[in-house]
Amino acid sequence: MSTLSPPPRPTPPSASPQPPNPISLRLYKVLAASFDDDATREAIRTLSDLYIAPPAKGKEVRRDDDADLDDADELDVPARAQAKPGGRGIDEAAATAVVARARKNLRRDVDTMLAASSRKFLAAFGEVDKQLDILQEHIGTMRERCDEAQTQLRQTSDACRTLLDRAGSLREERHEVAMRQNIVSLFLARFTLSEDEKEAITSRDVPVGKRFFAAMDRAEKIRDDCRVLLSGADVQPTAGLEITLATSALLEQAYDKLFRWCCAEFRLMARDTQLDASPALREAVRRLQQRPELLTEALAHLAQTRESALLAAFTGALTRGGVGGLPRPIELHAHDPLRYAGDMLAWVHQALAAEREGLEGLFGVAGRRRMVGAVRTREGPEEAWMSEMLDRAVGGLGAPLKVRVMQTVRSQESSITSYKLANLLQFYMLTMQRTIGEDAVLSRTLQELTDASYKAFFDAIDALGRALLRAPLDLDDHSVSPPLAILDHAQVLREIMAVYESSLLGDESAEEQTAGFRAILDRLVDPALEMVPAAAEAKQRQRPRWDGTVFVLNTLEYLLGVLEPFAWTQEKQEVVKGRIAGVVAQLTEEHYNTILRDAGLDEVAAALESRQPDEPLSRVPAAQAGRLQQALDAFSGWLSGAGVVHAERLAAVDARRVAGDVHSAALGRVAETYGRLCEEVRRAENRYEAGATLLGGSRPFGQVHLLWQIFGLEGGAAA
Amino acid sequence: MGDYEDATELMETYDFLMKYIVIGEAGTGKSCLLHQFTHNTFKDHSQHTIGVEFSSRTVKLGEKRIKLQLWDTAGQERFRGRSVTRSYYRGAAGAILVYDITSRQSFLNLSRWLADARALASPHLVTVLVGNKSDKEEDREVEWAEASKWAAENDVHFLEASSLTGDNVEAPFLLCARSILLAIESGALDPEKAGSGVSYGDRALRRVNSSSRLSFGSLSGGRRKSTVKLRLPLTGGRCC
Repeated sequence: MSTLSPPPRPTPPSASPQPPNPISLRLYKVLAASFDDDATREAIRTLSDLYIAPPAKGKEVRRDDDADLDDADELDVPARAQAKPGGRGIDEAAATAVVARARKNLRRDVDTMLAASSRKFLAAFGEVDKQLDILQEHIGTMRERCDEAQTQLRQTSDACRTLLDRAGSLREERHEVAMRQNIVSLFLARFTLSEDEKEAITSRDVPVGKRFFAAMDRAEKIRDDCRVLLSGADVQPTAGLEITLATSALLEQAYDKLFRWCCAEFRLMARDTQLDASPALREAVRRLQQRPELLTEALAHLAQTRESALLAAFTGALTRGGVGGLPRPIELHAHDPLRYAGDMLAWVHQALAAEREGLEGLFGVAGRRRMVGAVRTREGPEEAWMSEMLDRAVGGLGAPLKVRVMQTVRSQESSITSYKLANLLQFYMLTMQRTIGEDAVLSRTLQELTDASYKAFFDAIDALGRALLRAPLDLDDHSVSPPLAILDHAQVLREIMAVYESSLLGDESAEEQTAGFRAILDRLVDPALEMVPAAAEAKQRQRPRWDGTVFVLNTLEYLLGVLEPFAWTQEKQEVVKGRIAGVVAQLTEEHYNTILRDAGLDEVAAALESRQPDEPLSRVPAAQAGRLQQALDAFSGWLSGAGVVHAERLAAVDARRVAGDVHSAALGRVAETYGRLCEEVRRAENRYEAGATLLGGSRPFGQVHLLWQIFGLEGGAAA
Repeated sequence: MGDYEDATELMETYDFLMKYIVIGEAGTGKSCLLHQFTHNTFKDHSQHTIGVEFSSRTVKLGEKRIKLQLWDTAGQERFRGRSVTRSYYRGAAGAILVYDITSRQSFLNLSRWLADARALASPHLVTVLVGNKSDKEEDREVEWAEASKWAAENDVHFLEASSLTGDNVEAPFLLCARSILLAIESGALDPEKAGSGVSYGDRALRRVNSSSRLSFGSLSGGRRKSTVKLRLPLTGGRCC
């Protein structure tokens, strides 16, 4: 673009020798300046564009900017006017003109253009400024609004806070209310019965069973809870009272229903021998114990039912027996008094035990086991009910039992059977007393029967005693053994004693055992003790040769023998032994006299006894020396006979030991008598001439110890 | 013991009620056997039984619950044995006849006891012979085979037990109950009749079944089970 490069400016001639001329410096600088850099080129291009390129354009611009660019108008008009016709030549010329003009007017044009541009800027910025003002205004407004909004917000939030507070408190309130509602509903649930439960209690259609009991439990629980509730001091009692009243009423209804149901059930229990309670019934009875008056009434029905049921069963057993008559009816054995009574009593006993079991089931105490044979301990309220029930249920059996037993007791002729019967009755009486108590009807009946049977027995043995007393001895019977009457009597005694022995349990004291039989022994043994000597005496009078003493001894010994096996007859044995001792003493005396007589010493002995104290023995006729000699000789003869070892009379004594004792005692006395005789004969006062010789003439030669030896007795040495 | 109590408590209701009588010579351990059966313990230093004593227990046999009313008798006449005992056969459905394996005498007297039972009790009386004191093997005087033979000849059930150790103690009672149930099943015995020694228990059950005969399906089903439970020695089951 060398063509476009600006023409070099006229530069002053350089004056080399001269100090650099500022102008030349300037020139140099200008000349040296290279315009071939991008910036310059750009500037020049801009310039060229300014002048050359846009005549057309410039026209348009001009038109657009007509009003604004008055100064440029004038400038451009010629250029445009020249350019309008167009053509090469013209362009050339125009360009030259332009360049020239440009050279001339560059500064002005640029300034003008700058000014125009500045004006344009000004106008534009004015506009912007205006807009900004508006904007500011807007912003101001906006801020105002914002402030306003903030204020409002603040106000609102202030207002909201109270609202929130209120909402919060309301929420709390609601919560509280909900809780109270909950509590109230729980309270109601706890303190009121549901319709279902109410129905269970009140309706006749709901059977007594689980549902009913559950409802009852609820009602009771409510009542108890209410009691607790009412006991709290700070609680309003109204609700509690109301609930208590309502519940109590319901409970009463429940008990009433239970009662009616129990009564109905109880009345049905007549069919079975065995009383058997269903679980529901057991529960009902347990609950009814809270209402003793109702239970009593209901149980009265049961007692009545059971009484008649048992009575019917008893009658059946008595008259009909078992299935097809087996086991046989009890009355079939009425001829066998013990079996008859025993079967009846056993039946009653079994019924009693079964009934008791049933009642235990009914009262729910069956779990409490009892040791076999242990006496029932009475405890708990159930026990009282059961005792009463049992008493009433089996009490009815007393009447038929009594009639039959009494009849049996009265018809007995044998005292042994009577005693067995009495014993049996007593045994059952004690057994039942242990089970149902002494005051129970049946116990009293049995007591009565036992008493009556004992009375019958005592009457019977009293009659036996009286008969024995009246029984005379057979005069033609020469034997001295116990008579038939006594043997029979003793047999009865023996059997009765055996029965008594078997009735002892082994745990009674000796005193108790003795006392238990004393009355019987008195009644049986005393008449015998009385009768034997009396009868013997009577017979003796008729038959003087008959040995009454030995007879009495034998009979008493026999009786003693009967009593001896039983320790509890000791008392009576002593009595008999006492009697025997008396008889033995009598017999000894008699035997002694017999021996003296047999031995020929009787007269001498009599003289010894009967002489006057101051009369010499030799002066007594019976003891004069000659008579004495005779007597001593006779004694000597007797000593060598059988009489020393054997006594004919004593041979009749059944008890050999007693016979021996009697003989020994008699011999002893003989020896003593002989001894005394010897003593007397030797004494000078008795004036025997050669008394020693007299004595020594015959055995035992006046030696008493020798006599003892002959008699085979000891004790002579001492004497 | 506690468990046992609970078990019996649950069994308060029952299907049948049966009366048993326990008989035999004195000192053969009748009361101990019963005590072991009702209490599961041995009763030491026991006294002679006087007259008769009563106890009861409910047992389960198959599906049936049976309440047993047990009459323990005195073996010794001195303690009102036989004469009183005789009256108690009347109501019995079963008899437990006890002898002591260490006492030949108690075995030899069995015939008398059995004769009594046959003469006095119902013709359907089921008798079980029990050789007690089986723990005293060293003192044994009666062989098992001999007793078994006697039982077979006399048409009674037989087993040995020990009231000391409790071994086999329940078996005679269960065996007896089973025989009675079978008699009922076969129609030979009617619990509805008085004097049979057996009666129906649960009232509800009876009401339901009063028109029709009692179903014994459960009994038949439980029979095998009960045999196992019985633990019968050697031969097992009945020996006649």
